[in-house]
Amino acid sequence: MIQLDNVSYSYDKGGGISNVNLRLNDSEYAFLIGPTGSGKTTLLRLIYMELFPQVGKVMVDKYNSKNIKPRKIPYLRRKIGMVFQDYHLLNDRNLFDNIALALHVIGFSKDEIVDRVTESIEEVGLEGKADHYPQELSGGEQQRACVARALVKDPEIVLADEPTGNLDPVTSFELIKLLEEINREGTTILMASHNYNLIKGRGHRIIEIQNGTVRQS
Amino acid sequence: MDKMMFLLSEGMKNLWRHKLTAFTAIFSTFLTLAVTGSLIIVSQNTNRVIEYFRGKYKIEVFFNDSVKDDRIVEVVEEFKKINGVRSTTLISKLDAEKIFKSQFGENILDLVGYNPLPASCVVNLVRYQTSKLNVNPIINRIKNYPEVDEVNYQGRLIYQIESYYQKFVKIMTAVLIFVLGISVFIISNTVRLTIYAKKDLIKSLYLIGATRLFIKMPFIIEGIFHGLIGALFASILLIAGMEFGSEIIFSVTSIKIQYNPFILIGILSSISIVISYMGSSRAISKFIK
Repeated sequence: MIQLDNVSYSYDKGGGISNVNLRLNDSEYAFLIGPTGSGKTTLLRLIYMELFPQVGKVMVDKYNSKNIKPRKIPYLRRKIGMVFQDYHLLNDRNLFDNIALALHVIGFSKDEIVDRVTESIEEVGLEGKADHYPQELSGGEQQRACVARALVKDPEIVLADEPTGNLDPVTSFELIKLLEEINREGTTILMASHNYNLIKGRGHRIIEIQNGTVRQS
Repeated sequence: MDKMMFLLSEGMKNLWRHKLTAFTAIFSTFLTLAVTGSLIIVSQNTNRVIEYFRGKYKIEVFFNDSVKDDRIVEVVEEFKKINGVRSTTLISKLDAEKIFKSQFGENILDLVGYNPLPASCVVNLVRYQTSKLNVNPIINRIKNYPEVDEVNYQGRLIYQIESYYQKFVKIMTAVLIFVLGISVFIISNTVRLTIYAKKDLIKSLYLIGATRLFIKMPFIIEGIFHGLIGALFASILLIAGMEFGSEIIFSVTSIKIQYNPFILIGILSSISIVISYMGSSRAISKFIK
């Protein structure tokens, strides 16, 4: 469960979000829609507690932004899988090692890592690409690798920040369908996008954000 | 266990992944340790020089004629117990007569009809002491004995040698601390460059839930590897330099430079681990708040 109560956050140079109230239930699939600079990324950063609200509170599962200790934040993030527009893959290691990194952090054994990473690569349809480096993959493949990295640790929540921003329409739809499959297995999905045409008519909740304020939820 | 192995292998792989920064860090550690190692060898051999001089320090104590031989033996034994005294050598009146004959070729009894030479003893001082050797308390203790008539020693010379030695020790210590401080600073800045080059990795690690320790460990391990490789090269250079250079120095100055290669490697490796750990911890702590 994700809950934001009267949350405000503003940057020194302007922008941010103001007085946002939002609740996302377990296993829900929601789109966060709004133009560039509307506050989508800020909202996601507040959920994975890279930022802390100046007013109000964010609650993710048992973690509360008001009283969470810094040493507990990594444990919150282990419950969340992140997918970014610009992938955030590491160019100095291959696809397998990029995905495995998430499991090394948690402390999985070598055998478990091999099993889980292989399974995750298959799940996103990148079989045979495990030893490819990010620069050897297409944009769509890199984004699927990013999804695999988010999924490999079986997260309770997936936060996707403009994951289709660098993809063509066909690949974008494939990615959304992939996230829907993941959601069917019980994972909560919150996907930010500025492309309304991409998400309309899919039967999921749409949260609209403009100028830092949630207009319609 | 697997996590520890991963951190170790990450530290090692980073050496290869970031060759340029690794080279810079290793080279700066190598230079620092080569200078440090040279200073260590110089100070070890300077200790030998001061020990040589101290071995030459002599206090000559002459006894009153009226003191009996048994008492002189007792007093000389008591001298040995004075702090700073290494050994004593008793020269009886008879010994003095023999020494006179050996040095001047004539029997003093034939010259003056009796033996006027007093019984005496030579007091030798300790050699191994890093602090300043102060002879005055020893001289005062000896002079307090009523049996003692006269005490001769090279007071001014000993004072000067000891003063110079103390100054040398202080300067060497200051230089060593300075060099090590500089090396921590250089290593720290080099590691900061490495960290900056790996900011994407750090960001990713943060986002997938890595703890601060997990993020820091590969950098610290990598820093220690840099240090140990630097120490290895510095040891090779110094040992090769000593093997080659000591013969030349001996042929010119008759001073045989002594050092223990295993101790040198041990000291340099230990210093490298400490300075690399300090340097990389300092850098990573500044970056990862």
